[in-house]
Amino acid sequence: MTSKPQALTSIGPMRAFATNSKKITTELIEINEKLLDFNKFLTEYYKQLAETWNVAQKKVSQKIPEIPHDAEQIEAYKRVWVEMFDNDFTELFDSEKFGDNYGKLVSMELELTKHWTNISNVILQAANLPSKEEIDEVYKELHALKKRVTRLEIDTKKKKDEKT
Amino acid sequence: MKAETKIDPKLVEEILKFTRNIVKAPKLVAAPDEITIEVTPHEIAQQIDKTRLLHYKPLTDKQHKTPLLISYALINRYHILDIQAEKSWVRNLLEQGFDVYMLDWGSPTNMDKYLDFDDYVNGYLDSCVEFIKDESSSEKISLQGYCTGATIATAYTAIHPESVKNFIATAPVIDGWRDTTVISNLAKHIDVDKMVKTIGNMPPEFMYYCFSVLKPFEQGIEKYVNFFKNIDNQRFVDNFLRVEKWLGDTPPIPGELFKQWIKDIYQENLLIQNKMYVGSNHIDLKKIDMPIFTQVAVGDHLVSPECSMPLHYAVGSQDKTLRIYPTGHVGMIASSLSQKKVLPELGEWLAERS
Repeated sequence: MTSKPQALTSIGPMRAFATNSKKITTELIEINEKLLDFNKFLTEYYKQLAETWNVAQKKVSQKIPEIPHDAEQIEAYKRVWVEMFDNDFTELFDSEKFGDNYGKLVSMELELTKHWTNISNVILQAANLPSKEEIDEVYKELHALKKRVTRLEIDTKKKKDEKT
Repeated sequence: MKAETKIDPKLVEEILKFTRNIVKAPKLVAAPDEITIEVTPHEIAQQIDKTRLLHYKPLTDKQHKTPLLISYALINRYHILDIQAEKSWVRNLLEQGFDVYMLDWGSPTNMDKYLDFDDYVNGYLDSCVEFIKDESSSEKISLQGYCTGATIATAYTAIHPESVKNFIATAPVIDGWRDTTVISNLAKHIDVDKMVKTIGNMPPEFMYYCFSVLKPFEQGIEKYVNFFKNIDNQRFVDNFLRVEKWLGDTPPIPGELFKQWIKDIYQENLLIQNKMYVGSNHIDLKKIDMPIFTQVAVGDHLVSPECSMPLHYAVGSQDKTLRIYPTGHVGMIASSLSQKKVLPELGEWLAERS
C-alpha cells in the first residue's frame, strides 16, 4: 500500500526534522533553565560595576566638592574623575570577586552556545549536512596530515642535504 | 536671595568649539580602508599557510652580518612596529644597518583551530629561521620577540639555541603568577577547555573586551575627547586613525594555541618553572645561553614588569642585559621615547654582537 509521496517523506528532510524535533524541544527547555543562571551572573556583573561607579563618584565629589564653572576647573575635574574611575575600576577588574563572577558568566554563555550548536546540528542533520563535530573531525584530520607532510618534507630535505 | 551661578564665557566657547569639531569630524576623517598602515617597503620572502615572512628593503649601503627576525605578538597585527615613518621600529633598525625580517602570523580561520604551540614554535617560526639562515648564508640569526611573540621566541630559543645568536625579549609574557594586570586575573578564571571546545578559536570580540577593561576611562573617554579637540591637526588625526585601525584589526587566536597559552602561562605558570612542553620538547630556560637583551616598560598595563623580568634571571646566558623604560606596552615600541632611547640602546647592543 505504499505510494510515491509516502516513500519520499520517509527519506526527506521533514521526516528527519520531525524525528529530531523532540531533541530541539529538550534543548530549548535546557536553554531556559541556563538563562536563569546566566541572568544571575549578569546581574551580579552589572551590580559590581554600578557599586564601583557609585564609590568612585563619591570619591570624586569628596575631592572636588564644588561644581567647576570655568575651563581650567573643568579640565582639572576631568583629570581627577578619569584617574579615580580608572583606579577604582582597575581594582574591581583585578579582584577575586570580579574574576570569579566573570568566569562563571562566560562559562554560562558557553553553555548557551553549546545548546544553540546542538539545535543547529539537528537542523543540519535533517538537511543531510555535516554537524559541527563532523567538520571539526575533518579539521583535526587535516591538521594532523599537514603536520605529517611538513615532517616528511623536512626529513627529505635533510637527506638531500646530507647527500650533497 | 538666591546666589547667581556665573558661567565662564570661555567655557561656553570651548563647549561650542568641541561640538563644532564633532560635527565636522566625518568630513575630515578618512575611512579605515583609506588608511595605509604599512610604511616601510618590503617583500614577502616566504608564505606558509596564513603566515608570511616579510623581508624589509635595506636603507643603508652596508649591513650588519647577522640578520634579525622579529616575532610579533599574537594579539593585533605586526603593523604597530611600522605604523608611521618617524616612529617606526623597523625603519629605525634598518637605518642602523640591520637586515630585518618580520613574521606575520596572519589571520587564522575556523580551519586553524587545531594549530598549537608546537605548530607556531617548531613549525612556522622554525621554518622562517631556517629560511633566513639559508638566504643569508648565516649559521645563526638574531631573534626579537614582542609580548606574546616573545614567549613563542623564548620557547623557540630554548629548544633551538644553536640557531639563535642573540635574543631580544621585549615585554615578554613569562611569569603568569607574578603578572599584576587585569588580563591575568581574567585569564586565571576562565574555563579555557570549555571555551575552546565550544567556540574553537579565540574570537577578536573577546580580546576587545579584555582590552576595554584596561584603563577604561582613559582609553574610552579621554582618548576620544583629545581626538575631537585636535580634529584640525591633520598629523594628529592621521596618526590617531592609524593606531585605531591597528587596534581594530585583531585576528582570532587558534583554539589549541590559546588553550595551552592560558593554562601553561597564566593558570599553571609552567614556563618559568621549567615545566612547560612544546610538542615533545621540554622548555628549559637555562638552555638559553646566548647574549640576551630584555626590555621592560614600567607602565606596562598589558604585561606587567614583574611578569617579564624573571626571564632575565632564569636564562643560562652569561651576557645578559635588562633595561627598564619609563613608558607603557605600546610606548616602548612606537613612540618618541622608543626612537630616542629604546632603539638606540638596542641597536648599540645588537651591533656589537652582529
